[in-house]
Amino acid sequence: MNARPTVTRSTILSLTVSGLTPVLVLVAVFVTFRGHNAPGGGFAGGLIVGIVLVLRYLTDGTDAVRRLPVDPIVVIGVGLLLAVATGAVPLLFGSSFLESAIWKVDVPLIGSVKVVSSAVFDLGVFVLVSGVVAAILVALVEADDEARRGETGEPGDPGAPGDADRTEVDR
Amino acid sequence: MLILLLAYAAAAAVCLAGHRRVDRSAFPLSTLPHVATFAWLAAVAPGVLDGTPLVASIGWVPELGLSVDLRLDGFGLLMGLLVSGIGALVTTYSSGYFGPSADRARIAGLLGVFAAAMLGLVWADGLLTLFVFWELTSVASFLLIGTDDRSTTARAAALRALLVTGAGGLSLLAGLVLLGIAGGTSTISGLIAADPTGGVVPVALVLVLVGTATKSAQFPFQFWLPGAMAAPTPVSAYLHSATMVKAGIVVVARLAPTFADVGVWRPVIVVCGLGSVLLGGIRSMRQQDAKLALAHGTVSQLGLIMILVGLGTPATTFAGVAVLLAHALFKASWFLSVGVVDHATGTRDLRRVRGVRRLGVVATAIVLAAASMAAIPPTLGFVTKEGALEAFIEGGAGWTGTVALVGVVLGSVLTVAYTLRLAVGLLGDHSVGEDAVDPDHLHRPGATLVAPPVLLAALGLVLGLAAGPTGAWLARVATSLDPASGEGALYLWHGLTPALGLSAVALTVGTALWWTTRSATATADAPRSSFTVAYDRGYEGVLSAARRITGVTQSGSLPLYLGIVLLTVAGAAAAAIVTNRSWFDLSAVPVANSGLELVACVATALGAGAVVVARQRFGAALALGGCGYLLAVVFLLQGAPDLAITQFLVETVTIAVFLLVLARLPQRFSSAPDWAPLGVRLAVSAVVGLTVAGFALQASTARTEPSVARDYVERSEPEAGGRNVVNVIIVDFRGFDTLGEITVLALAGGGVVNLVAAARREQRRKHLLDGTDVEDLSGRAPEVWR
Repeated sequence: MNARPTVTRSTILSLTVSGLTPVLVLVAVFVTFRGHNAPGGGFAGGLIVGIVLVLRYLTDGTDAVRRLPVDPIVVIGVGLLLAVATGAVPLLFGSSFLESAIWKVDVPLIGSVKVVSSAVFDLGVFVLVSGVVAAILVALVEADDEARRGETGEPGDPGAPGDADRTEVDR
Repeated sequence: MLILLLAYAAAAAVCLAGHRRVDRSAFPLSTLPHVATFAWLAAVAPGVLDGTPLVASIGWVPELGLSVDLRLDGFGLLMGLLVSGIGALVTTYSSGYFGPSADRARIAGLLGVFAAAMLGLVWADGLLTLFVFWELTSVASFLLIGTDDRSTTARAAALRALLVTGAGGLSLLAGLVLLGIAGGTSTISGLIAADPTGGVVPVALVLVLVGTATKSAQFPFQFWLPGAMAAPTPVSAYLHSATMVKAGIVVVARLAPTFADVGVWRPVIVVCGLGSVLLGGIRSMRQQDAKLALAHGTVSQLGLIMILVGLGTPATTFAGVAVLLAHALFKASWFLSVGVVDHATGTRDLRRVRGVRRLGVVATAIVLAAASMAAIPPTLGFVTKEGALEAFIEGGAGWTGTVALVGVVLGSVLTVAYTLRLAVGLLGDHSVGEDAVDPDHLHRPGATLVAPPVLLAALGLVLGLAAGPTGAWLARVATSLDPASGEGALYLWHGLTPALGLSAVALTVGTALWWTTRSATATADAPRSSFTVAYDRGYEGVLSAARRITGVTQSGSLPLYLGIVLLTVAGAAAAAIVTNRSWFDLSAVPVANSGLELVACVATALGAGAVVVARQRFGAALALGGCGYLLAVVFLLQGAPDLAITQFLVETVTIAVFLLVLARLPQRFSSAPDWAPLGVRLAVSAVVGLTVAGFALQASTARTEPSVARDYVERSEPEAGGRNVVNVIIVDFRGFDTLGEITVLALAGGGVVNLVAAARREQRRKHLLDGTDVEDLSGRAPEVWR
């Protein structure tokens, strides 16, 4: 198996998956917020984002994973910050750490919507889990990619080694 | 007070964050908080000296009774004036000292951080506040000593200073905590008022003294200070002569009037202090680097101050405060002057320096500072040294005072000798080195370089001439330490007293000593300090012991690790089963709730079996994934949809990760190691499997308290506004747990990324070094499986 077969890509699958990506991410967000009243939650939502990434990797190859709009490490940080901030905000109002608040908000057309502060906490979990899965995937995919290049003796595209160096320094 | 500390922090933050952009303006910017602090202190001085300290306190963790307590009393005022005044001069000096190539902004920022920490330290009233600022100064010192981070010596010196002062800091913390408990208080002022005795107090005081001895470079911990001279000269002048090394003295000065009568205190102080006085003096005689000679001199001088403030009689306390001021002025001036010499001639080596006299006022500053250091009238150094001798003669500290007097006179002799050697070596043109400096080609220093040392040296002279008012002012300062020391006074001339006689003896003998040893010490190279050698041996010993232990415990065999981990788990579970008396009833455990569940369970078991017998890694991974999916089905059947969803998703991601990793490993499992034949492996598996299963069964029947589940379900909707109780538990009821878990997850993610990156780097390096094919290297990976 080490001598890998040439990757054949299905254009139809590729287009379908890339077209569905926004929808799937939306589903992940939905699952996250749905979690408060029905099965779901931040962990599950984050994992769905990870699976979307796996799908993109399977259909579009390494480029789909390497060309992420944001550095996954940053995403992890944002998630953790969001969760900690949700915990810390009640301190400002004299409540204890992580104490949750419930607001009823009237939204036109939809009616009364209940907003719970712990949903923001769950959002932090969601963002963080997405980031962790993405970070691990990107690291492994890049390593795999590099090993493959070394194996076939190809010099790889000239920009790539510098690119790889940059990511290492950044992390 | 807090505003001033924040101003320092802000200026430091700008310098550190702005880096290159603030390069030029870094030092002028960091001078501002010093000036502001100095002005503010001068403004509040009258009130503070009249005995009404300023107090500031902000809650830190009120639940634990922790707060940042600051208290500005007379002594804090003096120290604050020194820290900010010398700080302002040092930053001014630095703007001329550091060239554009040096990392100016970083040094300026760190100096600011240090100054804030040092002010916090001298103003601290809370015991823990003191400790926190204490450690901050250690860290700032570490970073500043290591400014030249490409030099091995500088890095080693920085680390040594950090380890010694850091260890001492822990000792101090232990001592302060014990004292706090004994006195039932968390502040220094409270402690002094409570005056606890007996019990742990002597132990606590020794711990505190060890901490102060490390920080103030006292025998036997003095060896880090000369090494710290690897720092740039302005830093040495500021931290390692005028301010930071006084931190230990500050603590001793605050505690001594109350605790000096406790049996162990004075002997410890006198042994440490005299050891430093004599050792520092002797060592200073043998240095060729002017800065190192000064550093050893600092150890000696600090020993004197330590004895004075440590003996804790009203007279010695007053004299200690006076000597402290004199030392800060002349030693900072000395260091800055040596910096100018270095700048002008390119060397600090006494054998090579020539032509310093042509630098005019700088030479004058050196002469004045030397006069003060050697206690020659009419400088402040002389006036305060007289005061110190008077205080010793006056007595009140028992036999330790007498011992101290003899030691200090000997120390004074040495001080005169090394000062003369240093001053003559710098100013004289009788250079013995072959590569001596050409006095016609000097690099002329600018005004910012010359003014600070001259100002400090001149101040030493003026304050000495005005001995009466200076003494009266210092007496008001000293009353904040010991109300009885307010009677202290300084005299330029107070008749033919024993103290004057001793001063004269010290001057004469010292001069004679210098004259007789001058040729012997002119060329000698300084031997390595035996303390440093002992420290280095100890340090190496710890490292090699750690390596040996790691070598024994970390064999690198994954099967061994796995075996140990699993057997430990099994052992713990078995212990729990045995000690828990309520045995589970196997007949009460249902086989399956439904046919579907039975099918799922049997299928899971089959999948697990497949994992065990699989010969290919890929197949094993897939079978494992199958087990996971089937488990999700069981969860679903048991009515746990949340768990099922998460399990399902995790399994999917895991398989994807497995596939990526397996691509790098050989297709088949490598054969088992020789020490674990099939029988052993089967036995380990059986034991672990059975114990864990038994543990699970028993855990389900071991409940002694009613389940919290019902309570959670009831509270879920009204309190947390969610109907999904599982989610509410995760994000609300047990949100703290979740926060911990996601933090672990974040760290684990970062760890994976870094491990992969490190492995890639290693592989690429090997690839470049010997041109080995990458495939060969990945083929070597299975070694891990052995």
